[in-house]
Amino acid sequence: MKHTLSILLQNEAGALVRVAGLFSARGFNIDSLTVAATQDPAVSQLTLVMHGADEAVDQLIKQARKLVDVIEVSHPAAEALQ
Amino acid sequence: MNALLPDIADATHADDATHPLNALRMSGAEVVVQVLADEGVDVLFGYSGGAILPVYDAVFRYNATHIGPSGGEPMPLIVPANEQGAGFMAAGYARASGKVGVAIVTSGPGATNMVTPVRDSMSDSVPMVVLCGQVPTTAIGSDAFQEAPIANIMSACAKHVFLVTDAEKLEATLRTAFEIARSGRPGPVVVDIPKDVQNTLLPFHGEGLLPMPGYRARLERLEQSVLDDAQCAAFFEALAQSKRPLIYAGGGTIASGASAELRAFVADYGLPVTTTLMGIGAYDTTEPLALHMLGMHGTAYANYAVEDCDFLFTMGARFDDRVAGVPDKFAPQAKFIAQIDIDPAEIGKVKTVHWHHTGDLSRTLAQLRAWGERHGWREKLSERYAPWHRHVADLKHTHALDYDRASPLIQPYAVIEEINRHTRGHAVISTGVGQHQMWAAQYFDFREPRHWLSSGSMGTMGFGLPAAIGAQFARPGAVVIDIDGDASIRMNLGELETVTTYGLPVKVVVLNNIGDGMVRQWQKLFFRGRFASSDKSLHRKDFIKAAQADGFEWARRLERKEELAATIADFLAHPGPAFLEVMIDPDAGVYPMVGPGATYAQMITGDHIASRQSVQADGAASDMF
Repeated sequence: MKHTLSILLQNEAGALVRVAGLFSARGFNIDSLTVAATQDPAVSQLTLVMHGADEAVDQLIKQARKLVDVIEVSHPAAEALQ
Repeated sequence: MNALLPDIADATHADDATHPLNALRMSGAEVVVQVLADEGVDVLFGYSGGAILPVYDAVFRYNATHIGPSGGEPMPLIVPANEQGAGFMAAGYARASGKVGVAIVTSGPGATNMVTPVRDSMSDSVPMVVLCGQVPTTAIGSDAFQEAPIANIMSACAKHVFLVTDAEKLEATLRTAFEIARSGRPGPVVVDIPKDVQNTLLPFHGEGLLPMPGYRARLERLEQSVLDDAQCAAFFEALAQSKRPLIYAGGGTIASGASAELRAFVADYGLPVTTTLMGIGAYDTTEPLALHMLGMHGTAYANYAVEDCDFLFTMGARFDDRVAGVPDKFAPQAKFIAQIDIDPAEIGKVKTVHWHHTGDLSRTLAQLRAWGERHGWREKLSERYAPWHRHVADLKHTHALDYDRASPLIQPYAVIEEINRHTRGHAVISTGVGQHQMWAAQYFDFREPRHWLSSGSMGTMGFGLPAAIGAQFARPGAVVIDIDGDASIRMNLGELETVTTYGLPVKVVVLNNIGDGMVRQWQKLFFRGRFASSDKSLHRKDFIKAAQADGFEWARRLERKEELAATIADFLAHPGPAFLEVMIDPDAGVYPMVGPGATYAQMITGDHIASRQSVQADGAASDMF
C-alpha cells in the first residue's frame, strides 16, 4: 500500500539524514522525497512517498516522532479516513 | 576560570538568579567544563587525543583550581585503556546512579570506539552525554587526520547527535544535550565539537537551551498526561474480573524510579511480579510474590505464571524477542493486557494490548493506586487472589532453579549462590554477556533497583569490567562485583589496569569454561555439536598472571570444589581490588531455556528443574536468533 507522509523538520545539520536513516534502518524504501523551505527559515517540509503495510507505517510514524528535530509527522490520507 | 564559585550548581537552580559567571568571556573548552560543573557532573571518563586537547586542558585547570576540602578533584577524569571502556564506565555510572554518565573522547578512532557503548546505552535507555573532539570546521570533509563523520555514524545509534559548527550555540547545545539524555525515554546524546570551536572565545551566559519545538511539545504532553476516571475504572473493573493477575515489569520501572510505587501497588493489590532482565531489582526478588526473571532464560515458575495468568499488567517493558519470542502465544490465557510506557511507539508495537497509558510510570502508578483507594478497590480485591498466591507459591517450590549439586566439578550456580550468601542482595553486580550473565541474573538476589548492571538489548560482551568501574565511582562505598566469563572479559581486559590505577575495590569473578559457553550451548542444541570457533582450549591466557601484571595483589584461581566457600569468603573480605578465576564445569548449561522462536509451553527445563510437560527440543536450526 502506498503512503504519503508529510514531515515538518527543524532545519538542522544532519536532520534529513536522520529521517532517511530511520526509514532504511527499519527496512523501508523511500519511493520519492521532496524537501521544501517553509515561511519559517528554521523549518523544512518533507513530503515522502513509500510503500508498506498500514500497521508497519503506523509504527514508523511513531518512531519518526521520536526524532528530536522532527516537529510533526502527518499522514494525510489515513487521517482523512478517521 | 579562576572566578568560579564553589556552589555554582545551586546558584543556577534558582530561576531568577543570574549565573555568577554570566557575561564572562571564556574559551569554548572552558564553556564545556563549566556546563558540566553546572549539570552536577562529578566524574568524567575519557581518553585524550589531538582534537579534544583544549577540553582536556580546561578540565585539568578546573580541577587544579577547585580542589575540595578533602583534597579531591571535583571532576576527576578517569582514563581507560580504550575508549569503549570509557563509554561503558560512563554507562555503568549512569545505570548505578540514575544520573547522566559523561564520556569525553577525541575525533576519528576515539569517537568510533565509542559507537558500541552509545548503541548499547540507546538499546537499554541509559542516559549519557558523549563529547567528541572533531577536526576544525575548516577541515571537515577534507579527509583530515583522525577525521570521521561522527554525526552521521552516531545518528543511527544515539538518541540525538549535535555537530557544533556555530561556537555561539555551544553552551546551549551542551545544556540541551543533558536535557535530552535524561528526559522522556532516556538515552545517549553525542556532541561533536570541532577543535576551533573549543578554542573560540565566547561570552558565557549560564543559561539557555536550544529550541526543540517538536521534542519539547511531545515531552510536555507526556509530562501532563494523566489517567482519566474512565481509564482508572476500566483498569480496576478488569482486575476485579481476573483471578490470576500478573505484573510484567521492565527496565522502564527502574528508569522511571518507579520501584517504590511498584512495591506499594503490590502491597495493596497482591499481584505477583516477574521482571525482565532490565527490570531486575525493581521488585525485591526475595519477596514471596517475586517470580524473578521471565523469558528465554527466565525461571520456570515465572514463565509458567505467564502461561497461567489471565491479566497481565505490563510496565516499562516492550515484549522483546527474548521475552515474547512468539508474541501471539505469549500469555495465551490473558484476557486483559494493560501497558504503561513513556514511549508511545512501544504501545502495541509487538503485542496488542487492551488498555494502555503513555506517560511516566511512577506518576501513573501513584495515580492508579490513589484512585483505587478512593473507590474502595483495594478493600474489595485484598483477599481475591489468595488461591492464585497459593498457585504461585507452589510453582516456585515445584519448579525452583536447581543444578547438579553432586557433581565433582565446580558448578557456576554454586559459585553465585556462595557469593550471594555473603552479599544477600545488596551488592552491585555487573556482567559480561553469555551464560555467566544468565546464571548471575537467575541465582543472585536483588533487593533494590540499580544493583544489576548488564547489557540487555545489545548483549555486548566486554561490558562487565568497565561497567563495574563506573559503578564504583557512582557508589564508592558499595560492594561492586563483576561476574564475567573468560571470553567476555577478554574483550576489555585492558581495563583491569584501570581498576588498580584508581585503587578501586572492584571484585572480578571470571567463570572460566574455556570458551564461548552460550555459543556452545546453541551449537549443541541447534548445530549438532559442531563447535565452530567457540572452543578456547588452545588459548594460552593465564588470567591470574594477567591480573597480577595489572597490579591485582589478590588474584587466585579456584579449581577444587572443596575450596569454594573459603576462597569466596577470603575474596570478598579483601579490602582492595581482587580477581578470582573459577574453573567451572565446561558443560554447565543455562536452564530453563525457551528456544528461539519457541513458546513458553515448549520451554526446556534441563535435567535438574522440574518441567510441567515433557518437551523435546526439536534440534533443528532455525532463522530465529
